[in-house]
Amino acid sequence: MADTVTLPETRESTALDVPWNVIVHDDPVNLMGYVTWVIMKIFGYDETQASVLMMQVHQQGRSIVWSGEREKAEFYVQQLQAHQLKSSLEKAE
Amino acid sequence: MKAMPTLEGGLRLDTEDPSDWELLRAIIADAHTPATDDLAKRLGDLIQEDAGAADWEEYIVPDLREEFQDELAEVGAAIESAIVESDGKAGPIWITPENAYPWYSALNQARLALEEQFQFGPTEDIDPGKLSPVRAAAFLRSKFYCAIQSLLLEYVMK
Repeated sequence: MADTVTLPETRESTALDVPWNVIVHDDPVNLMGYVTWVIMKIFGYDETQASVLMMQVHQQGRSIVWSGEREKAEFYVQQLQAHQLKSSLEKAE
Repeated sequence: MKAMPTLEGGLRLDTEDPSDWELLRAIIADAHTPATDDLAKRLGDLIQEDAGAADWEEYIVPDLREEFQDELAEVGAAIESAIVESDGKAGPIWITPENAYPWYSALNQARLALEEQFQFGPTEDIDPGKLSPVRAAAFLRSKFYCAIQSLLLEYVMK
């Protein structure tokens, strides 16, 4: 009988989770002042920051208004949709 | 119809003719577009497959639908109550700061539904005189709803 001992070996690896982007899309109905108000209300941004994001939506058709962990991104998109803003989430590239 | 801010931080709408009540009732009727998917479904359709579209459809869309319906029901009840209080004649309806958001939401639902149905797009260059009677009426209702929304935003919600 061979004198061998099996030793368990564990390895740890850490990888950063890919962040998710929260996107607000442009539409011809929602008023610019309302879009700004909703972004301020949901994300707690000040009016200047929210206005910049709103203008991106208006001029470029969409804006990334937040990035981070998926669960939180889903929550924010749900809040934006509850305020009737066209919004979605996507993996950050 | 006249609209003015109140000292309590709300908004007062004064119908000037009994037929004005029908314009307010139209908010609720316009918000329902049987010809197309409802708003909750249209918003849910923006979620891609890899972002969990199936779960969104199953869990989030029904909640949004219920929320939107509740807001319409609240505004519809307020309008009917105001009509009864005015005995069907011209009279006032108050929008308090507490119920400003359901009003804004109901007006927005109506405008989004009209846009879905008639595809007006940016409205600056539209001449309602060149639209068919049905489209012109829808366009003018949408503009009226937008005017009330602007007042709500400026005087009540901000």
